[in-house]
This record gives sequence, C-alpha cells and structure tokens, in this order.
Amino acid sequence: MTTTQTTHPEGEKDSVPFFPNHFMTEFYVVIGIVVVVLIIGALGMLFPVGLQAPADPLDTPLHVKPEWYFLALYQLLKYVPPSVLGIEGPMLAVVMMVLAVMVVTIWPFLDKKEDSKKAMRIRAIGVVAFIILAIALTIIGEVS
Amino acid sequence: MTLTQRKVLRLALILSGAILLVVAGFGVHGATASASTLEAAMSGVGSEAVFVSAPPPVGQDTCLSCHINGENTNLWAPLGRWSVFGVFGLVFAFGVYRSASVWTQRKAWKPFWTRTVEWVDERYELSPMLSKLGAKPVPRFAMKWWYCLGGITAFLFVVQGITGIMLAFYYKPSAAEAYNSILFIENEVRFGAATRMIHHWAANGMIVMCIAHMLRVFIMGAYKKPRELNWVSGVLLLFLTLLFGFTGYLLPWDQRAYWATTVGTDIGGALPAIGNLILVFLRVGWDVSEATLGRFYGLHIIVTPLLTVGFMVAHFMMIRKLGVARPL
Repeated sequence: MTTTQTTHPEGEKDSVPFFPNHFMTEFYVVIGIVVVVLIIGALGMLFPVGLQAPADPLDTPLHVKPEWYFLALYQLLKYVPPSVLGIEGPMLAVVMMVLAVMVVTIWPFLDKKEDSKKAMRIRAIGVVAFIILAIALTIIGEVS
Repeated sequence: MTLTQRKVLRLALILSGAILLVVAGFGVHGATASASTLEAAMSGVGSEAVFVSAPPPVGQDTCLSCHINGENTNLWAPLGRWSVFGVFGLVFAFGVYRSASVWTQRKAWKPFWTRTVEWVDERYELSPMLSKLGAKPVPRFAMKWWYCLGGITAFLFVVQGITGIMLAFYYKPSAAEAYNSILFIENEVRFGAATRMIHHWAANGMIVMCIAHMLRVFIMGAYKKPRELNWVSGVLLLFLTLLFGFTGYLLPWDQRAYWATTVGTDIGGALPAIGNLILVFLRVGWDVSEATLGRFYGLHIIVTPLLTVGFMVAHFMMIRKLGVARPL
C-alpha cells in the first residue's frame, strides 16, 4: 500500500488513491448493506409484506392516505383553509409547493455568496427545523 | 494487495457465491405442492400400489435420478451432488489441460485470469485508463461516514434493479391478475416473499438515504460553485426516486395502493391550468383504472429506471471531474 501511495499523481499527504484504499472502504460499506438486505429478506420469509383487500373503486376506505414520504405534504394540505383571498385554498397550496420545489432545484443559483461558518450554521438550523416539522406532520398524518 | 484486502476479496467471493445460489434457487416455485405430492406418493395415496415392496429406509432419497428425468423440483439435491462430485472432475480436467499445454507450448503456465486480462488488454489497451481511474486521489476529509450516504443510495438502486427484475418475471400488470400475481410471488415463488420484502424496504431506504444525502450536501454548502449542476441533477434524481415510489405503490392493486394513487394524483390535479393534463396523463382517463396500472407499470420499470441511470451517470461523472467539496 505504501508503494501505491507514492505513485499517484499529486502525491499529497492528505489524500489516498481511489484504488485500492477508497475502493476497499466502499466495498466494506457494500458488504454491510448486503448483509442488512439479506437479513431483511430472511425476515420477509417469516413476515411477508402482505396485501390488503383487492382494489375496489366502489368502496372508499375511511382513512385514505398516500405513501409515508408524501404524508407530510398531504397533512399540510389539510390545514389550508378552503378559500384564501377569494382563491381556492388547495390550489394555492399546491402552487406554493411546486414553487418551493423549483426554488430547491435552482438553489445553487440563488445562494451564490462565499460560504461562511455562520451561513452553514443557519442552514443546519433550517435543516433541523425542516426535519422536525416533517416528522411531526408525518406522525400527525399517520395517527389521524 | 495486503492480507486484509485479500481476505475481504475472498469473503466477497464466498458471499457472491451464496447470493448466486439464492438467485439460482429463486425461479424454482411450487415447492409446497411438490412436497405434498411426494408425501402422497410415499404413503401410497392417489397411486395404485401394484407392486408391494419394502418401504425405503427413513431419510433415504426416494428418487436418485429424478433431477435428470425432470421429476424432482428440489434444487438442492442435484446442486449438492454437482458441487461434491463435479469439483473433482473439473480439477482433473484442468490438470490434464494444464499439463498438456505446458508440454506442447514449452512455456510457463499462466492462470486463466492473467491470460484473459492480457488478451483483452492487448486489443483494447484498457489498463492505462483503469490505472488512471484507480490512481485518482480521494481526500482524507472525505473518509467520514456522512460522505457515503449518496453511495448507499446508488447501491440501493442496484438492489432495487435486481429485485425488481426478479419480481417482474412473475408480476402481471392487469387489474384482473395483478393482485393474484403478488399473492403468487409471496406464497409460491421460492424466495418470492424475501424478494418482495427487500424491494419494499430498500425502496424506503433509498428515499431516506437520498434525502439524508441531500441535507448533508445542503448543510455543508457542497452545492456552491462549481458544483451547481451536481445539485440540480441530484434534485432530479430525488424526484425520480419519489416517482419510483409513487408508481410502484399502485402495482399490488390492493385497496391501499388504489386509494393512495387516487389521492396522490388528485394533488397533481389541483394545479391550475395544467392540473387536468397531469391528471389525465397519469390516470389515462378521469379515474384510476386498469389503464392507470399499465401506465404506472411502464413508468416504473422502463421510463424511470432509464432516466435515473442517465442522471446517475451524469452525477457521478461530475463528482469525478470536480472532486469532493472541501468542507469549511
């Protein structure tokens, strides 16, 4: 391993060559995931995912829910009043969501300032707030 | 290569062999049915016992050549025989070939692996490119666990691809058969329940890992110049992952799937101006029907995977070009 470290182009002290050093790290991670996946598979043979009753368009269940990763958004939609300033509430909320998604997509072009520790801290706080809000909404959506 | 690396490679070989065995056994279904027929045959029920002979001793394989006649649906017995007796034959054949080759060519023996590599390299000259790829330095600050979230997402996508193909062998995308084909996968197909469980949970894991990776990049400011397009392609990959989840959720065609799709497409339909267009495109009509199932199936197994692979390649090539962002 010492020979490969001296042969890579930059010869920096603070880096390792992709192969074999970093490749091996990735490889350990993959092995770990494979083991977890096989354990999940073994559990699946004992407790299958299962199915509900076959789909019936005429029989609407009491609590209709989307998948868990859309549940927070779905729950947020429920809090929107039916009419805001004469505009249809849900429509406004969905438009806001689409706009938010677009802002996220082009975010690097909006936040062009040189990065600083302070900006990083603000972003971290924002992320924590987002996570707490999303988890809270998901739980409320799940139990309601 | 160090000793540990060699050990890991050996472990990988053993593990991939085990996975190969599982995959090989996957397609063989009707295991429960064949067991009961075997029992019936052994107890004499359902067959006319003309010749009365002594019963076979307990534990004796009642059919030693059934795997040749195609009567034996049990995969493991012939596999076990092959791995015990076949290995000796292969070792012998290899020894004969190796001795003869050394004797006729008057040259030292080279392992097959070396020969294959040399053969390919002589024609396509891959080794300079590969060694250049391998020599690319990875900064030490990127050797923390939170830097592997994106890689885990990518690997889970591979898992989804493999298990998804295995499920697609048995799944039937029609309103009449979808539900029953899932039941068939769960109850009859060997390792079917395990495959479905892995596909189900790896899907959830992929979404979690994708979002975690995105939040990590966001907090650390790794999206800043010159990595803007990396971020954009990553967000598109998140959308594709969510589209995977959304379209895959309908496929079991049970009550939960049907109504989750109904409310999900309703949200898209609430958009002004283009809402109805989206709704009709997704549902192929005004309500969720068999046509919707076909559309979601096509999106789930062809359109989304192709787009995802394309964007992933772009994402990785950009990382390769620009390197890992140095944190503050």
